[in-house]
Amino acid sequence: MTAVLQILFDALSVGSIYALGALGIALIFGVMRLVNFAHGDYIAFCVFAMLWPSLDVVAIVFIGNLPWFLLIPVILGIGAGLSIISEILVFRRLRDANPATMMITSFALGFVIHNVLLMFYSSRPKAINLWSNLSLPVEIMGARIPLLQVITIVMTIVILLALVTFLRRTQFGVEMRAAAEDFTMARMLGVKANRVIMAAFGVSGALASCIALILATQTGVADINMGLPVMLVAFVATVIGGLGSLHGAVIAGFLIGGVSVLLQVFLPLEARPFRDAFVYSAVIASLLWRPQGLFAPKSSKERV
Amino acid sequence: MLLSVENITVRYGRLTALRNFSLTMEQGETLFVTGPNGAGKSTLLKSIAGVVAPVTGTIHFHEQDVGGQPPEGIARLGLSMVPEGRHVFGSLTIEENLILGAGMRRDKARMAENLASVYDLFPVLSERKDSHAGVLSGGQQQMLVIGRALMTEPQLIAIDEPSLGLAPKIIDQVYDTLTRLRDERGLSLLIVEQSTTRAVMAGGRMVMLRSGELVLEGDARELSKGDALNAAYFGFEEH
Amino acid sequence: MSTTKHPSVLAQTVSTPVILIGGLALIAVLTWAFGSNIFGRTVTEMFIRVALVVGMFTFIGNSGVISFGHAGFMCIGAYGSAWLTIPPMMKKVLLPGLSPMLANAELTFFLSLIIASLFAGVIAFAVGLILMRLSGIASSIATFAMLAVINTIYSNWGPVTGGTSSVVGIPITTGVWISFGGAAAAVVIAYLYGISRSGLALRAGRDEAVAAAASGVDIYRERLIAFTISGALCGMAGVLYAHFLGVVNPDAFYLGVTFISLSMLVVGGMSSLSGAVIGVVLISAIIELLRKMEKGITVGEGTLSLPNGIQEIAIGVVMIVILMFRPGGLTGGAELSLTRTSANDGYSKKDQGSGNHPDNKPRR
Repeated sequence: MTAVLQILFDALSVGSIYALGALGIALIFGVMRLVNFAHGDYIAFCVFAMLWPSLDVVAIVFIGNLPWFLLIPVILGIGAGLSIISEILVFRRLRDANPATMMITSFALGFVIHNVLLMFYSSRPKAINLWSNLSLPVEIMGARIPLLQVITIVMTIVILLALVTFLRRTQFGVEMRAAAEDFTMARMLGVKANRVIMAAFGVSGALASCIALILATQTGVADINMGLPVMLVAFVATVIGGLGSLHGAVIAGFLIGGVSVLLQVFLPLEARPFRDAFVYSAVIASLLWRPQGLFAPKSSKERV
Repeated sequence: MLLSVENITVRYGRLTALRNFSLTMEQGETLFVTGPNGAGKSTLLKSIAGVVAPVTGTIHFHEQDVGGQPPEGIARLGLSMVPEGRHVFGSLTIEENLILGAGMRRDKARMAENLASVYDLFPVLSERKDSHAGVLSGGQQQMLVIGRALMTEPQLIAIDEPSLGLAPKIIDQVYDTLTRLRDERGLSLLIVEQSTTRAVMAGGRMVMLRSGELVLEGDARELSKGDALNAAYFGFEEH
Repeated sequence: MSTTKHPSVLAQTVSTPVILIGGLALIAVLTWAFGSNIFGRTVTEMFIRVALVVGMFTFIGNSGVISFGHAGFMCIGAYGSAWLTIPPMMKKVLLPGLSPMLANAELTFFLSLIIASLFAGVIAFAVGLILMRLSGIASSIATFAMLAVINTIYSNWGPVTGGTSSVVGIPITTGVWISFGGAAAAVVIAYLYGISRSGLALRAGRDEAVAAAASGVDIYRERLIAFTISGALCGMAGVLYAHFLGVVNPDAFYLGVTFISLSMLVVGGMSSLSGAVIGVVLISAIIELLRKMEKGITVGEGTLSLPNGIQEIAIGVVMIVILMFRPGGLTGGAELSLTRTSANDGYSKKDQGSGNHPDNKPRR
């Protein structure tokens, strides 16, 4: 029983990160048909933002030393800001371009951010001491679960609920959903393209900062490559969830998290190193089964 | 003058969809734009709505040059577009679809008023207001998009092939509604239809396009009397 | 009779590969005549990249489907040749899990090049049987998943692949001329495929899917053919690369190479063969130039040099700027050609955006 609970919490907390990442990618894809490969580098950027303004090898945390009620909004703001700036400087000019061009541009942007970090911080991972007491375990029904896992899961649920409320209950949220489904029609009803796209980038960047906070606390290091694996899985989750479907992206994120944790536990020992091969084979199988994604919106057609 | 299109030419790559086309509309007028497939009718509407940009020519709405305005800017001036294929937002509820049209007027009271009047006009929408718009039938979707256009408080509704894919009885209903809107609210209507039948039935001015050019213009009923209509539509040589 | 009036596709378009190969040959000759050793290595690397990107183009350009998986075939080719050419003595130690036939093999470079490339092609065919059923973004993701599977297998199957550590002892044979030969061969094969029945049908399907399907084009079959050929070409690039460095490890064939080669293709113009070649040559040249500037250039008395790390940042910025101003890539899908008539064979509207309203997003 406690083992089952442990697995469940593992799956949920891994899935939470993937779900938040997938949501960040799906939001932008929805309004712009852009698969934003820079997303992983936004995550890394936010992690390193906690080290500002220190460039030392042994990081002296400045922003990271702010009390949590200041730190969190500051980091969220940095993520949102970075994402919005990249929209204004780069992606705005490419709204007409084909998806491949946008994708490669986003990759180039990620490459630039990555190398800026590399120039200032080098590739050696740095220790970040952020809320380390959160790694202490708590007891839930006999299972010892790290407090951070619980917080990660709870925070993800809170973020998702807040986003759902925003998208369903506010005029602006309805406009964003409409724009994600049929951008031109939304504009013909007076929805301002620039505002919606900027908002999507802002929310997406803020989601990247949430992941940054969770990863930094979980691992205790700042590594310029730490966003990449999350971004790749999130990217895959967005597609198997059904492009253009936000809830599909979230569910698929949890699904992939669940599958990888389960495989880790139940694969025979000698097959365990090949876990990712199984995960990605499952991804291919899922695509063959439902090429439009598991939760594709009814009206969506293949546009790429 | 409500709308004035002067000498516009629209190209898609090497293909010219509309060539030196002009058109004017007065307040309260109903204008039919007809013509065979590929004549450039939808392109005309898209240029007026700001979705495609003409390479030459100007478009004025209320004496204001709207060339280069994005679609949302034109919508805000009071021109509401109902494109071909209706384009309901299937994942939004019916009420959300309607509210979307009211977004640019930040006036809750007026919005509620308009919403009530749309529901009054189309009671079926009110009954199903919380279901997803994707589940509606074609006729109901057509009502929804007309209602959604009304929510923007337009002076001119431009509507592309409202009869497409609908049963004759439903088409009658749609046209009844449109006529009522014209008569009761003084709305100006720019209606694109492939066939001239509806234009002749409803009366009013009609222009006909073929291969991107204006071939005929005049009162629909007058034109229907001779052979001119068919000749123009099919491009027969006059003897 | 009519043949004299309508010259064959070959006659119309043959100037394209001739120009491209001629250009590459010129670079090779100049390098051979004037270049230093180090410069020779840079040029060799560039030629290998030409072979790789042209291989990717054969599938991506003709089908319009972005593939993230082709580095996987490069990996398969490289390891294939490592298995065939490393001296058996070394293999017994490094890769004890190899089957006896492979363990005792010690083929010549050229034989190994052909076998390992074909092996990559066979794997591409087998994978393609499944993946080519998909289209659009689902297909792109599936190719990415395939790359991840290949990488996971090669990184963890220690006895056969050496795991994540490098496999050494591959005879170093690739120089400027051999890599030029590889690049030229790739251009010729890609060109011949492009004017073949299958290539023409696939491009028709890319531009007008419905119309092509209606006129009997079996897109699945044509994609599979293109995928197989491009897999083999990328495999060949992998072999060349293995024999250039003398060392292989799985991460050399993962995301880094995937993205840089895709970038070269898109910056050049992904729907034309000329775009593929030009993209590689241009970006390689810019990288080399920036590298030089990072080391410092002598200006009068002192040296000017860029701070370390600027090179990567600059190359990223250059790519962004090119794509911002030429979203269809530098060639915009056109081919280099002597005759004007064949210049826009690969021309695709999609790469040009809608060309209409600046804020208009065409969607269907």
